[in-house]
Amino acid sequence: MTTTDCVLEAIEIRKTFGPFEVLKGVSLEARNHDVISILGSSGSGKSTFLRCLNFLETPTSGSVSLHGQEVEVRNGKPANPRQIEALRRRLGMVFQQFNLWTHRTVLENVMEGPVHVKKEPKAEAREKAEAFLQRVGLAGKTNAYPSQLSGGQQQRVAIARALAMEPDVILFDEPTSALDPELVDEVLKVMQSLAAEGRTMIVVTHEMGFARQVSSETVFLHEGRIVEQGPPDEMFSHPKTEVFERFIAKVK
Amino acid sequence: MLELFSLGDTGWGDEILRGLLVTAQLAVTTLPVGILLGFFAAFASLSRFVPLRALGVGYTTIMRGLPEILTLFVVYNGVGLLLNSLVQWLSPEAGSIDFSPFAAGVIALGMVFGAFAGEVLRGAFNALDRGQIEAGRAIGMTNSQVFWRISLPQVWRFALPGLGNLWINLLKDTALVSVIALDDLMRMTKVAVGVTKQPFTFYLLACLIYWVLSVLSELVLAAMERRANRGVRRA
Amino acid sequence: MNPMDVIVTYWPRLIDGALMTIRLTLLGAFIAALVSPWLALVRVNTATFIQAPIRVYVSFMRGTPLLAQLFLIFYGSGQFRPELEQWGLWDFFRDPFNCAVLAFALNSTAYQTEILRGGILGVPRGEIEAARAVGMTPIQVLRRVVAPHAYRIAWPALGNEVILLMKASALASIVTVFDLMGRTRQVFSRTFDFSVYLWAALIYLCITATFVLLWRFAERRLSPHLSAADSTAAARLAELEARP
Ligand SMILES: Nc1ncnc2c1ncn2[C@@H]1O[C@H](COP(=O)(O)OP(=O)(O)OP(=O)(O)O)[C@@H](O)[C@H]1O
Ligand SMILES: [Mg+2]
Repeated sequence: MTTTDCVLEAIEIRKTFGPFEVLKGVSLEARNHDVISILGSSGSGKSTFLRCLNFLETPTSGSVSLHGQEVEVRNGKPANPRQIEALRRRLGMVFQQFNLWTHRTVLENVMEGPVHVKKEPKAEAREKAEAFLQRVGLAGKTNAYPSQLSGGQQQRVAIARALAMEPDVILFDEPTSALDPELVDEVLKVMQSLAAEGRTMIVVTHEMGFARQVSSETVFLHEGRIVEQGPPDEMFSHPKTEVFERFIAKVK
Repeated sequence: MLELFSLGDTGWGDEILRGLLVTAQLAVTTLPVGILLGFFAAFASLSRFVPLRALGVGYTTIMRGLPEILTLFVVYNGVGLLLNSLVQWLSPEAGSIDFSPFAAGVIALGMVFGAFAGEVLRGAFNALDRGQIEAGRAIGMTNSQVFWRISLPQVWRFALPGLGNLWINLLKDTALVSVIALDDLMRMTKVAVGVTKQPFTFYLLACLIYWVLSVLSELVLAAMERRANRGVRRA
Repeated sequence: MNPMDVIVTYWPRLIDGALMTIRLTLLGAFIAALVSPWLALVRVNTATFIQAPIRVYVSFMRGTPLLAQLFLIFYGSGQFRPELEQWGLWDFFRDPFNCAVLAFALNSTAYQTEILRGGILGVPRGEIEAARAVGMTPIQVLRRVVAPHAYRIAWPALGNEVILLMKASALASIVTVFDLMGRTRQVFSRTFDFSVYLWAALIYLCITATFVLLWRFAERRLSPHLSAADSTAAARLAELEARP
C-alpha cells in the first residue's frame, strides 16, 4: 500500500453557486514531493477547486483529507471550525493578487502566522522569517511595506509567508497572472527551486513551460470536470481529448 | 484690557479656564461613547439579519437628519421626564430630581457622534480588501484573529480622516450644552459678558479658544494619519 | 397625554416655525452661493499671499462653533452700538433674524468655498486644454467648461451642505428667532408635553427628505450624460474637501 505517502486527498468535490454547478465531482490525490499543475480555460473551476481544498469555499459535497484525516462537513458547513483552522495551518496558499497585508512590513507579513497562529517565540520566528526572505531573494527588503515593492517582489514575499508556516502542501492560484511579463520569471524561478527541494505543491497556472518542465503531474479541468490527467510530457505530446488539444493549440 | 482676562478675582481668566476644562471633559468623555455606538451602528447596518440592519440604518439615518440641539433637548427633557416618573412611581414622596446636564450632553452628543461614526465605519469595513482577509484565513487564523489583526487596523486607517472630522465637530457641538446650563466654555463666556458688558471681546475670545482647539486637533490628526498610513502609497 | 392633542392644537405654530426654518436656510445658503464661487476661484488661481485671508477665514469658520459665531454677531454687535447707530446699521443688528441669516451665510460661505474649490480642482486638465485649443478666451473657458463641470462635481456635496445648514439653523431659536425649534420649545414650555419634540423631529426629517429628493431630481436634470456610478465617484471627490 502506498497510501501512507498520500498527503492531501480530495474526493468527488462538487460546488454549486446558486443554480450553477461549477465543480462536478473532482478528485485529486497529492503525494509527498508531487508538483501538480492544474490547467484549464477561464471559468473552468480551477480557482474554486483550489479554494475548496483549504475551505476558503466550502464544497457542496465531497471530502478533503490531510494525512488521512478527513475534514467533516455537515449540512454544507464545516462541522468544526477548529478543524478547518488546523487544516489551513498545514496548507500554504499563494494568491493571484498576492494579498499581502498592507499595514505590515515585509518581515511582519512573514512572521504573522508563525507568531500568532503557531505561537512560536518571536525571536525564533524572526530568524526563520529572515531566512525564508533570503530564500526568495528578498533579504534586503525586510522593513519595506508591500506598497514599496514591485509585483514580483510582493509575490515572492507571499511565497515566503506561505513557507514560514512550514506547510505540508502549498497551493498556488495563478501566482504569475497579475505580474508584468518581465517579472514572471523571478517568481517562477523561486517556485522551480521549491519544487527541486521536494516540496509538495498544487499549482493553478497558465504557464505551460512551468507545467511541462517542473510538474510531476498535470490535470486538465474543463467545465468542472477533470478530462485529462497524467505526466506532463505524455499529456502534451499525446492529447487524448479534443478539448485539451484545442487548449494547447490556443495557449501556444 | 488684559486685566479682564487675568486669573483671580479681578479678571475672568480663571472662570473661562474652568469652562474650558468642562468643555474638554465633555468632549473627551463623549468620544469613546460615540465610537462604541458607531461600531454598534456599523455592525448593525452591515448585518445580514434584517431587523438588526433596519435598526442600524434607521438610527444612523434619523440621527443624522436631526438638528443636534433638538437631540440634546429630547435627551435632556425626555430622559429627565422619564427619570422623574420612574422615581415618582418607585416612591411617591420623593421630590423631583434633576437630570445632570453633563450626562445629557454625553448621551446626546454621543448618539450624534455614533450615527455619523457608524457611517464612517461602515464605509471603512466595506473598503477592506477581501483578499487580505482570505490570506489571514488561509494561514489558519481564527475569525477573531482576522478581525483584530487584519480588519481592525485597516478599518482604523480608512476611518481615521472621517473620525477626525467628527471629533472636531464634537468639540464644536459641546458649545450647545451651554444652552441646558452646563458651565462649559460657552456658558462661562456668557457669564463674563453679563458682568463686563463686553460681548464682542468675550465671544471673540471664546471663538479663538475653540479655533485653537480645532487647529491643534487638525495637527494631531494629520500626524496620526501619517502614522496610520506608514508604508501606504498615497493615491 | 395623547400625542395627537398637541399636534391638533399647535400645528399652525409648528408649520409657521417650519417655514421660518426654510426661510433661514435658503436665505443663508443663497447668499453664500453668491459669494463662494469667487472665493473658490481666488483659492485656486492666485498667489499664496492673496489666498491667505481666505484660508484664515475658512479655517476660522470651520474651527469654531456656529453658536459662538452667532453670539459674536448678535450679542457682540451691542458692544459697538454707538458706531453702528451712527452708520445706520444698528437696526439691522438688533434683529435676531438678520443676525442669524448673516451668521449662517458667513458660515456656509466657508464650507461652500471649500466644496467648490474641490469641484474646480476636479475638472480634468484635458478638457480645459481642449477648450483653449479651440480658441476660447479664459472667461469663456471658465463659463463654458470649468463652471458647469465644477458644479456638477460639487453638486452632491453642496446639497449635503444645505442640509447641514438646515439642521444648524435650529440654533437661531437660541437668539429668540421663532423657527421650528423655537416654536417647539415654546410649545413645550407651555404644555410640558414631550411629544412635541417628536413631532418636530418628524418635520425636520420631512424637510430633509423632501430636499434630498428635489436635489437628486435637479442633479439628474443637470447631467443626463453622467451615469450614477460617475456621480457618486464625483461626489466622493468633492466630499473629500468638505464636511464629513
Ligand atoms: N463566489 C462565487 N459566486 C458565484 N459564482 C462564482 C463564485 N466564484 C466563482 N464563480 C463562478 O464559478 C466559475 C468558475 O470560477 P473559477 O474562478 O473557479 O474559474 P477559474 O478556472 O479559476 O478561471 P480563471 O482562469 O478566470 O481564474 C465561474 O463561472 C465563476 O463565475
Ligand atoms: Mg482563477
